Amino acid sequence: MAMVMRSAFLPQLPPWGRKAMFALVLAAICFAFAFPVLWLILTSLRPESGVYYVHRGTEFTFGNFAEVLREDRIVEAFLNSALIATLATVFSLLVTVSSGYMLSRFTGPASRLWFGTIYVFRCVPYISWVLPLYFVNQSWGIYDTYVGLLLPHVAVHICFFSWLMKGFFDGIDPSMEYAAMIDGCTRWGAFIRVAVPSALPAISALAVLCWLFTWNEFLFALILTGNRVPMITVVMAQFVTEMGLRWNLMAATAVMALAPAFLIALFGQKYVIRGLRI
Amino acid sequence: MAAIKLEKLNKHYGTLFHAVKDVDLEIADKEFVALVGPSGCGKSTTLRMIAGLEDITSGDIRIGERVVNHLPPRDRDVAMVFQNYALYQHMSVYDNLAFGLRNKKTPEAEIKAAIDRAAGMLGLHELLQRKPKQLSGGQQQRVALGRCIVRNPQVFLFDEPLSNLDAKLRAQMRIEIKRLHAEIPTTSVFVTHDQVEAMTLGDRVVIMRDGRVQQIGTPLQVYGKPANKFVAGFIGAPAMNFIEVTVRDQAGAVSVEGDGLRLTVGGPEAPALAARNGRRVILGLRPEHLVLGNSVQGLGFDARVEVVEQLGSEILLETRVGGSSVTAARVPAETVVVRGDQVRLSAQPGRLHFFDPETELPISG
Repeated sequence: MAMVMRSAFLPQLPPWGRKAMFALVLAAICFAFAFPVLWLILTSLRPESGVYYVHRGTEFTFGNFAEVLREDRIVEAFLNSALIATLATVFSLLVTVSSGYMLSRFTGPASRLWFGTIYVFRCVPYISWVLPLYFVNQSWGIYDTYVGLLLPHVAVHICFFSWLMKGFFDGIDPSMEYAAMIDGCTRWGAFIRVAVPSALPAISALAVLCWLFTWNEFLFALILTGNRVPMITVVMAQFVTEMGLRWNLMAATAVMALAPAFLIALFGQKYVIRGLRI
Repeated sequence: MAAIKLEKLNKHYGTLFHAVKDVDLEIADKEFVALVGPSGCGKSTTLRMIAGLEDITSGDIRIGERVVNHLPPRDRDVAMVFQNYALYQHMSVYDNLAFGLRNKKTPEAEIKAAIDRAAGMLGLHELLQRKPKQLSGGQQQRVALGRCIVRNPQVFLFDEPLSNLDAKLRAQMRIEIKRLHAEIPTTSVFVTHDQVEAMTLGDRVVIMRDGRVQQIGTPLQVYGKPANKFVAGFIGAPAMNFIEVTVRDQAGAVSVEGDGLRLTVGGPEAPALAARNGRRVILGLRPEHLVLGNSVQGLGFDARVEVVEQLGSEILLETRVGGSSVTAARVPAETVVVRGDQVRLSAQPGRLHFFDPETELPISG
């Protein structure tokens, strides 16, 4: 009965037909995700006159990239974004790894308080932090500085990624650390020399996530920076000028901004996936 | 010189859970003591307190001459083998073995010599360059043993080290541990829930229940003279049969009567039983002390066979005697017996145990 109830279409197909259907569906899904990116790349290669007719015409140029890179502000924004992303990753990992470890291994009141704190901050919508942070940054005199952008990023990372890190450490058998403590390590020694090396795949995966998170971040960058610290996500959106939208330049910038994510997907995905599965 | 002495050792978790209660235990230098009991009886907690991995709530722990109550694990000069091996996954076997000595800043040449010796004892030479993940469970546990040996500590602690191995490997490793202890006699505490491991390995066995020590003694003592009904039922496989009976003292001839059986008691416990004339006691009969047939006058009873377990070397009979089920072991393998048969079983004189139903303490002469 159950067999009859099911759609009679797939079982009727021969095996090669089923494979073909499967491939077709996969291709469609991939296309749906890849299409905007392909369109973006295509746009970045068109002269300004061709951006509204991307699907027509055969005129291609790398001039957009050259023009974008001639602008100091954009180069500076790239460097700033890379610098902030790297620093945010390093600083947040220093906290995240140990706080995740604490949440996983200790059950005292300190651990519970910390758990509650980051839980609350996690629940607060990200967007509602931004305006208060703007005023805080203004009054502390760190508006539009590296520090003013770095601190909120590190805070967000700690709240979001301590949980992931706790999960990773939950998956690592604590008796290894007990063995290390008996073998002559202090509690910290066991953490640094045994627990952290065991969690290294997970930590590298987390580093990648942190880095990309900050690199792609728009809202903090928009509100908390001005002219002195241009960030790539913000600068990209500033091709809206009184002379109209410079789609080709914006696309060229976006393609370059995609590069890190693309490289990671190309070379590092195996490690990221393995790390996240721990 | 490293005797271990536990005095009035207590462990509370929060206010509700009292895991270890007033444990007193003296372990002599080079002695091998097995802590055994059902899960949750406090044996592992006791071991972890000796190791320093668990704070003690009250009491004293001495290793050698030192009170180690507040010393961190690294200063107690103990080594520990864990149930799940706890090898450092990111290091080679060699580095695993060297870890403890390197922490003590031992010269590399000495470390190499110590590892060579341990590897020779445990057959680890071919494995030294491998990572733990590339080893089988038995090999990993041998590496864990090696990691203890190379440090040459005062005390070995074993936390259910054989539980993750299959039955055959477990028997092998048991022998290996025994051999190791003979070659390098070191004070050892071995925690297990398997009474066979405890009996075969321990010079003395400590039986625990609900955080309290029930009995401390040699394997023969805890088997032959259990301190209470719990120990009697826990030690020995298959477990001791318990039958509720009433004492009858008829002009000096003491007997016990239960549902479906009546046994004459003539041993040294007879006077103590006679004093309880007419009261209920619990009779304990070990399956291996029951024989088929009516060999002894006054100690036989009838039983109906419910399950026959043929082991090849012997038969285990699960029988019903009145309202209680009684297991008999050591029935010759060739015996023809099937479910539903009526058989005659006899207890062996001098092998009867009696317990008070309230206190569960043994009644003896």
